[in-house]
Amino acid sequence: MRWSGKVGSLFLLPAVIWVLVFTIFPLGYSLYLSLHNVTSKVEVVGREEVPVLDADGNPVLKPNGEPRTRTEVIRELNRTFTWNDFANYGRAFRDGQVRDAAVFTGIFVVAGVVIEIVLGLVLAYLFNRPIIGRGLMRSIMILPIFATPIAIGYLFFTVFYEEGGPLQWTGLPWLSDPTMAKISVILVDIWQWTPFCFLVFLAALQGIPDEQIESARLDSNSNWDLWKTVILPALKPIIIIVGLLRLAEALKLFDIIATLTKGGPGTATQSYTYYAYTAGFKLQDYGYASALAFLLLIVVMVIVTFFFRFLRRTYE
Amino acid sequence: MSVRMAAGAAALFATTALCGVAFAQGVEYVTWNDDGTVTLRADPEYKFEITVPRERLGTLFAPDYKPFEGETVTVLTLDSGPMGGISGPLHMFRPIWEELSGGTLEIALTPITDLYAKMMLDLNQGTGLYDAIIVGAFFYGDLVANGYMIPIDDYMASDEYPQWSYDVMPDSLRNLYTWGGVGYGVLNDADGQVLYYRSDVLNDPEHQAGFEAEYGYPMPVPPRTWQQLLDIATYFNGKNWDHHDDEPDSGMVLHLKVGEQGHYHFQSLSASFAMTPGPELDRYHNVYWFDPEDMTPLINSPGHVAALEFLQQLHATGPAAQVGWSLGEAWDYFLRGKSVFVFSWGDVGALCQDESRSVIRGNCAAAVLPSSERYWDHENKTWIETDEPGFVGNTTGGSWHGIISAFSDAPEATYSFLSLMAIEESSAWLGTYGWNGVDPGYSYQFVPPYGTADLQAYLDAGWHENDITTYLEAYAQNYNAPTILTYLRIQGAPEYWDIMDKNLSAAMSGEKTAQEALDDTAAAWEEITDRLGREQQLEAYQTAIGYKH
Amino acid sequence: MSRRSMEGGMRQSSFATALYSLLALVITLIFFFPLYWAISNSLRRPSETFTVAGLGVPFLDFTPTLDNWLAEIQVKEAYNAFTNSLIVSSVSTLLALLLGLPAAYALARFRFRTIPNKDLTVWFLSQRVLPPVATAVPFFFVFTTLGMQDSLISLILINATFILPFVVVIVRQTFQDLPIELEEAALVDGASHLRAFFRIAVPLAAPAIAASCLIMFAFAWNEYLFALILSLTEASVMPTHIAGGADTRGVQFWFVAVRSLIAMVPPVLLALIAQRYIVRGLTLGAVKG
Repeated sequence: MRWSGKVGSLFLLPAVIWVLVFTIFPLGYSLYLSLHNVTSKVEVVGREEVPVLDADGNPVLKPNGEPRTRTEVIRELNRTFTWNDFANYGRAFRDGQVRDAAVFTGIFVVAGVVIEIVLGLVLAYLFNRPIIGRGLMRSIMILPIFATPIAIGYLFFTVFYEEGGPLQWTGLPWLSDPTMAKISVILVDIWQWTPFCFLVFLAALQGIPDEQIESARLDSNSNWDLWKTVILPALKPIIIIVGLLRLAEALKLFDIIATLTKGGPGTATQSYTYYAYTAGFKLQDYGYASALAFLLLIVVMVIVTFFFRFLRRTYE
Repeated sequence: MSVRMAAGAAALFATTALCGVAFAQGVEYVTWNDDGTVTLRADPEYKFEITVPRERLGTLFAPDYKPFEGETVTVLTLDSGPMGGISGPLHMFRPIWEELSGGTLEIALTPITDLYAKMMLDLNQGTGLYDAIIVGAFFYGDLVANGYMIPIDDYMASDEYPQWSYDVMPDSLRNLYTWGGVGYGVLNDADGQVLYYRSDVLNDPEHQAGFEAEYGYPMPVPPRTWQQLLDIATYFNGKNWDHHDDEPDSGMVLHLKVGEQGHYHFQSLSASFAMTPGPELDRYHNVYWFDPEDMTPLINSPGHVAALEFLQQLHATGPAAQVGWSLGEAWDYFLRGKSVFVFSWGDVGALCQDESRSVIRGNCAAAVLPSSERYWDHENKTWIETDEPGFVGNTTGGSWHGIISAFSDAPEATYSFLSLMAIEESSAWLGTYGWNGVDPGYSYQFVPPYGTADLQAYLDAGWHENDITTYLEAYAQNYNAPTILTYLRIQGAPEYWDIMDKNLSAAMSGEKTAQEALDDTAAAWEEITDRLGREQQLEAYQTAIGYKH
Repeated sequence: MSRRSMEGGMRQSSFATALYSLLALVITLIFFFPLYWAISNSLRRPSETFTVAGLGVPFLDFTPTLDNWLAEIQVKEAYNAFTNSLIVSSVSTLLALLLGLPAAYALARFRFRTIPNKDLTVWFLSQRVLPPVATAVPFFFVFTTLGMQDSLISLILINATFILPFVVVIVRQTFQDLPIELEEAALVDGASHLRAFFRIAVPLAAPAIAASCLIMFAFAWNEYLFALILSLTEASVMPTHIAGGADTRGVQFWFVAVRSLIAMVPPVLLALIAQRYIVRGLTLGAVKG
């Protein structure tokens, strides 16, 4: 049951205004930037020598008796925005790096999320059994989720080290082969986020009423049947939510790339966000970077809309 | 529960603070001696102490006068920590300068790969946070085009500031510190790549005989041509010629990681394949990057392509993992005695001496880079074969040094700090001690006949005699070579390099052929040139390389 | 934790229990291994980074040293970054709490007609789904124009925005689960909605609020993209400090290992404390833990 009334709006409004100011406005600005050639340059329009004063306001003198001076630089920031007939978007569609980054990000997201969900289910199944030391092990499994991603990139660089690293015995070209490097990046994501899927599924498993399981056991003794008829259907909405959340997060892939592979070898592991960042902030092409970012935003919006009805049901 | 956390954090915090405080003990950073000299000292862990004539510091600094009291100078630099390359000396000189000037020095740190972006963001947005920036020479194109640097000629001419001069630099380096004859950079680091080789292994009679039997000619030590080097690297690759472990070792090790400094390997190697040497720089001779008449990229010329194919062959004589390696990992491999060769910067020679990381002290010889037995003639579009290839020197790398931002409100104080590190005694010391990443290149850092340094200073600094003699000779010859790889100093240089770097990495990891990689690079370059304005780029390029119509 | 016995109707021999426990242990160790490797790395001398035998067990495979730790904690910048991270994470958490708690309450207790409650909730959630790079350039322009580059305030404002959804969804659910009668009784007694909210709802939801704080703190602590763009020196935080472990001589893995561990300890510890709420928090309230 819920109240109605204007008071509710007062509770809600500050947060709504905040979000409008801090996301809707930047997104609008971003759209504007993406349609323009943007340059930003500063010019020195004047210099002035001002005397240096000490704490009492008296001029400070050099040993030769002249007053000491300090330079004050007068500068002017000139930003220009030139409408360019969607040239940034045109360039994005022609740019081979965009295509490669989109493909890699797509592979990364789909492979990573599917594997994390499957593995998460398997682990949840295992941990839902009576096992010794479950609490402690569950706690340890939580650690990767909150580990700082930028640090994880470096961490895995040492783990994947091919000459003397702990996985050298595999003989695999972890980071030096373009295909293998893609797999390695996905593995890192799996390491970090499988525990999350596992925790959620474990919680959900434990939420299935005993009676439902007991009655299913009466029909069949096979575990597989139990999963097919009771557990998976019960878990389905949760799997979808987890999938959506992971999808949205995985599309942001940036930190790990920045320290693990730098997008290489070549552009094999250059994620979409990483490329957009490079264009905008390493090479200072703000209009182009905004266009790239906006294209990503459209993709995310399509995905979210696609999942929207599940979300609405959840937050009834 | 949050209380417990807060307590934990506070404890961690307090411990850190205590350790910090414990280290700020009293050091007398500056002593004004009675004999007219001044002794400068850093914190004890640096073991830095020099004594200089008082005039060397300029007239501003005096025992009873602090000329920049109350001023703050902020320097942006790449981050290697307080005892690391390039940023280390700033930390070392900070208290000395603060004592002399009365000012405060802030050191802004950023990873080397973000330095350019951070600098340009600050300058383009007018934030003006930094008074000085420790730049790589390839930043100059953008800095000059926008007028973001203050010329320092007037400061240099004045007797007020610490005294140093460009005259100690070979022309190849001086070019990197100046633009169109105007001085901008304050003397600091000198970068160029040389070849390092294991003198003990190459001089081993057993291996020499083995090599000759296999390749039909005596092993030249050090190799004179790239083709000889490839033979030697191939010969050693896969054999366990180093007995520090039981694993087979490699011929060559490279640092090829994308987004790092892998493309420099290609630059210095390809110079002797892709440049047509001539007495003077003209449209076809001594050019490397673009046709100086119309900005057509030369990067996919047959000379460049052959060089990249050669680099691919050379890569095969090293660990496959090096495709993902940046400097540290590749150097580490060489230092651990795992490869016969590495070609890289002066830091390697210095690191060889550090026995906490190196097992090859005394066996770590250096030589100028080999040259190619054939090179591409851009004028006649043909290959020239030669038995006695001319040597092409390089200033590949950053040659990291300070420039003063046009937006600095304390340029004098800033200059006084940067020049304090540039005086002969400071610079000689920095060149001698390897940890600081400031590599030798100036006359007082080379021993006769190339300069005026005393070998003993290097030996005192911990160098092994075997290593230092070849090291200094290699660098002196490199910077004074008749032909020097031209340096790309035009607007957008980092963008040109970024796409080249990605393509080179794709070629080295086998995703693209050499031809594809360089054709793609050339196409991308045309697009960049058109976007930035061909006329403007052409003009800057001509000025940067000193091209006259 | 669970509303019923762990065994959940499963019958299992003790042999099977041992077998499954062993399997679970192996898997746990695999997931723990990279963290263990960082610890081991941080205790090794630089030359041993990639040469240590076996599994790099301290004392067994090498003689551990605290040199890297001691060197790192002496650095002024490390100290600065740690402090900044503490400030940015806690203040942005507080700010998000200030904005998010009333919103969560409103969504749980009031019915909105123009836009239905569930759509409002989903709208808040969409902040979490939004790719940060889409707002990076505008934020950068705005903050530099305002002269707020390299300032903790910029980082606080941005982080507060991106962590706001956590408090909204976690606490909304908790408010909803509280019996409304207590508040109604207070209202009947003449208390205002604000009073009912502060005096009754908030104290009752305290554990959930604390948990949402821990999660928000951890996310703000780990944020890298905006820190990279907006912070330079003064406002350097742990993630940018870690990234600074690369230099002209390559990545100094020994320092990076130390920095990584220092950076990871706070969020990881917080996560352990907030274990009970992680599931609900990270699924944005979709699954009750």
